[in-house]
Amino acid sequence: MVLYIIGLGLHDEKDVTVRGLELIKTSEKVFLESYTSVLSIGKERLERFYGRDDIVVADRDFVECHAEEIYLPAKDGNVSFLVVGDPVCATTHSDIIIRAREENVKVEVVHNASAMIAVGCCGLQLYNFGQTVSIPYFDEHWRPMSFYPKIKYNRRGGMHTLCLLDIKVKEPDFEAMKRGKTIYLPPRFMTVNESSEQLIETERVLNESAYIPSKTLCVGFARLGQPDQRIIAGTLEELKEHDFGPPLHCMVICGEVHEMELEALRPHLIENSKSQIDSEGELFDRNGSFKQC
Amino acid sequence: MDLKHNIRSMSVIAHVDHGKTTLTDSLVQKAGIISSKAAGGMRYTDTRKDEAERGITIKSTGISMFFEYDIKAGEVAGLSEEEEAAQKAAVEEAMEGDSNVKISENSYLINLIDSPGHVDFSSEVTAALRVTDGALVVVDTIDGVCVQTETVLRQAISERVRPVLMVNKVDRALLELQLPAEELYQAFCRSIESVNVIVAMYNDEALGDVQVDPTKGTVAFGSGLHQWAFTLKRFAKTYGAKFNVSEEKMMAKLWGDWYFDPNRKVWTSQNKDGTLERAFCQFIATPITTLFEAIMSEKHGKVKKMLKAIGVELKNDEKELVGKQLLKRVMQKWLPAGDTVLEMIVLHLPSPATAQKYRVDTLYNGPLDDATATAIRNCDTSENAPLCMYISKMVPTSDKGRFYGFGRVFSGTIATGQKVRILGPNYVPGKKTDLWVKNIQRTVIMMGRYTEQVADIPAGNTCALVGVDQYLLKSGTIVTEEDACTIKTMKFSVSPVVRCAVEPKNSADLPKLVEGMKRLAKSDPMVLCYTEESGEHIIACSGELHLEICLQDLQQDFMGTEVKVSDPVVSFRETCTAKSDQTCLAKSANKHNRLFVEADAIGPELCTAIDDGDINAGADAKIQGRKMADEFGWDVTEARKIWAFGPEGTGPNLFVDTTKGVNYLLEIKESVVGGFAWATQNGPLCEEQMRGCRFNLMDVVLHADAIHRGMGQIMPTARRVCFSSMMTAVPNLLEPVYLCNISVPQDAMGNVYGVLTQRRGHVFSEEQRPGTPQMTLLAYLPVMESFGFTADLRSNTGGKAFPQCSFDHWEPMNGTVYGGGKVAETVLAVRKRKGLKEGIPEISQYLDKL
Repeated sequence: MVLYIIGLGLHDEKDVTVRGLELIKTSEKVFLESYTSVLSIGKERLERFYGRDDIVVADRDFVECHAEEIYLPAKDGNVSFLVVGDPVCATTHSDIIIRAREENVKVEVVHNASAMIAVGCCGLQLYNFGQTVSIPYFDEHWRPMSFYPKIKYNRRGGMHTLCLLDIKVKEPDFEAMKRGKTIYLPPRFMTVNESSEQLIETERVLNESAYIPSKTLCVGFARLGQPDQRIIAGTLEELKEHDFGPPLHCMVICGEVHEMELEALRPHLIENSKSQIDSEGELFDRNGSFKQC
Repeated sequence: MDLKHNIRSMSVIAHVDHGKTTLTDSLVQKAGIISSKAAGGMRYTDTRKDEAERGITIKSTGISMFFEYDIKAGEVAGLSEEEEAAQKAAVEEAMEGDSNVKISENSYLINLIDSPGHVDFSSEVTAALRVTDGALVVVDTIDGVCVQTETVLRQAISERVRPVLMVNKVDRALLELQLPAEELYQAFCRSIESVNVIVAMYNDEALGDVQVDPTKGTVAFGSGLHQWAFTLKRFAKTYGAKFNVSEEKMMAKLWGDWYFDPNRKVWTSQNKDGTLERAFCQFIATPITTLFEAIMSEKHGKVKKMLKAIGVELKNDEKELVGKQLLKRVMQKWLPAGDTVLEMIVLHLPSPATAQKYRVDTLYNGPLDDATATAIRNCDTSENAPLCMYISKMVPTSDKGRFYGFGRVFSGTIATGQKVRILGPNYVPGKKTDLWVKNIQRTVIMMGRYTEQVADIPAGNTCALVGVDQYLLKSGTIVTEEDACTIKTMKFSVSPVVRCAVEPKNSADLPKLVEGMKRLAKSDPMVLCYTEESGEHIIACSGELHLEICLQDLQQDFMGTEVKVSDPVVSFRETCTAKSDQTCLAKSANKHNRLFVEADAIGPELCTAIDDGDINAGADAKIQGRKMADEFGWDVTEARKIWAFGPEGTGPNLFVDTTKGVNYLLEIKESVVGGFAWATQNGPLCEEQMRGCRFNLMDVVLHADAIHRGMGQIMPTARRVCFSSMMTAVPNLLEPVYLCNISVPQDAMGNVYGVLTQRRGHVFSEEQRPGTPQMTLLAYLPVMESFGFTADLRSNTGGKAFPQCSFDHWEPMNGTVYGGGKVAETVLAVRKRKGLKEGIPEISQYLDKL
């Protein structure tokens, strides 16, 4: 018997692949992972579309602490574990795959579209992307800036950087946690505006010119892969002011931009944008170090 | 009140039953508040009904009094010129403004706080010392310096409060023990020396020389009950005139090895043939003893003659008095205690202006050169001076459920209606937590049994505020400057180790109970009131008597209905006693992060150093690292990499980073420390606090992306790894142990031993009090076994033994957690009481496999 890990794509119930749909219909148990990303529609629409009413929503606690309840039933019958986007792209489900294999449960992955791929729609070529980073929410004490050296590394090599933005769903209140209580905070999704602000702050604090908030070209995305998706290109300072609408958001900090990429990107560019295209020779001198604009 | 050089804020401190409250009466009488007849038995500052019934002070009570004292006539040393000039200017100013009350440079305002002597109420003493600059230490001539004398004196010095000494109950020494003059002198010497030993031990350089010395006038002798007291100065004045020597020189002669040879008419310090009588005995002690003897044996002729010699005239009705009544009246007239004590206070205790110069360093949390600190240092009362006031305790008002915030104005002037910033103890400069900006409703002066409303109160005084109880729980700081920081939180010498659960008799009264507990928490600086996970309402106190009083207050004053009280329960501490037998691993929930930790014990000495604040979280890592290496044998590099203290960021458990070259480590520090704080607050065995554990972070494996190693992932993991590493390091429980000071006559000693043995206690010191058949036993007694100990001891010794217990240390319990014995029993019992899962927790619950 098999544990199918099925990608649901980016938009609604109809984004699932035909093979995925068939497997869901024939599975004995279906789990829907609901915390690494979110669909634009609710569980009820999925159930109606799949023709079954027994989908179990698996939250963070369930998937992380009770994973065996997902893969152990797969010993006796087929189980589908539904993941928004693609199961092996931006998520951390490799652990469940490893543990299922240790229990001799067969695992099959059904792929689908992911934000990591869909960003290609703005015209930037996926070949030119470097390491993907996440931008976590800063709070009073915790201001991790480890994404910065990675962006710098990518930019030095002329590569674009995809920034995934923090999602806080069912995040416990840590102050309450220390007192031994579990209280969940309301869900939060980071917007392009918030991440632009944090990126600007990081550059100001670390000051290593990995990017220039007033000049470097960046692209912001909202609701990728959905009919009302929005793509806006401009500098960080410009993006900070633009409204992108409801979640989910992500963004790209461009490296070197090829003529073709630029051509495709142009319609998304903010009018009178101050952004400058960093092209070879202009930004990097012979020694490979960054030239101040 | 505006003359800051003429204010004395002082507390009366001592061991229980050494006569603080009674002595305070003398001053209250001197101020004209009570009659001289009532004084000595009235206990004016014991304002509560139960205080009067039990004859002990429970709450510290403030009283502000106004005296006239002509400093020029009585003073030898005099004020410094600078101070004098400042004083004069202030007098003139005050005279202009206020013509109906006669204020002169001889007017003194004394803000006195009478504190309780019983060890269970030490927190009240701490709160009193914080807001005063001087302390009148009262010592019983016969009992001498006792445990609590030492405790409160030590606290006074650590708060930079200057002490003067009153050797009390001299009447007892004369009437009950019939001590001859020389022995009386020896008894006085013993008390003074013991006080000076303590003073020297805890000496603080900033405070200067605070040794008490009769020849300097910082020691008084007398009887609070009979309302008389004297200093050497009093006699030096009379004899000085007679011998034609200066008062100062005379004082030096009246103490120590000085003799007057009447034959040769010379002073000598030699007494080779032993025929001479010590000057102190000859000129002071003997006249007093003779007078005592004459009055008590009713030799009327002799009495009359003596009265004439000392210049005491009795009124007609007074002449009919006999025995003790007569004695009291005569001594009261001859050597009035109020005058003597007042003189000592005025001359030898510092004014706020003097005291705050050296106290500011230990008081203020912020930078010592900002506006508020400068104003505190100068005790600035000028019009635009920044305000700083510390509220040290809450005093119940006649309006049930409301409290006065009692405290001390350190700088500026606090006025009714003034807009101020109220800072709670957790206020952080620049943040909005624990901060309220409000108007002061009313300012009042505490007058013991009643209060008096005034428009404003300038720096240097103690006073109370109406309305701040809405914002502050027990203590807090009130300022006007935006950048002002808080006054340091008080450090108590006792901790709430005795707890019990309460529930209302009638379940409909639950809301009343919850409200009553809130009020109780406010009314006492020490008591802790909280609700357990299991829904139990817990009251935690420092001892059995404290608990009894708290429960009584709760039922009678704060709730009005009765409660059911569980058996008292004791706090424990969870600890480890060895090094972990393996490197423990915990994986984060998403399995992408791994923490490797080993636990180890840090030893009781380091724990104590942390408790005392010698080793603390805020210290400079390099200096502290050196210190820990030198004193506690730590590796210097490790000592510099202490990430946190816990619980509450200050406790005696340490988290140490011993990793090398791990990427992104600092990014998870906050989360790991959070988990550590959580683990040390509620340990794995039975959710008691941890104590004496050190956690070494050996290695970490982290996900490459920040999102996947956030607080939600790391914090619970850090907690689990702390648990598992502690449980693999021979875990144990620590139980609190009392130091029990028992005074008992020799013949009843055997019974005391019997009672102690039954309760797992043991005696470690036995000492006979000089000149008495009384023995002083020092014993250790587990707090767990101490309930009903006092009653048991009394019934077994026919009421001859008097115990006084105070928390002393934490002691490991017998047995092992996994092997059974007392520890295992206790863990199970505590778990059951708290409603936790039964059985001793398994390590496998917290330990992950690779």
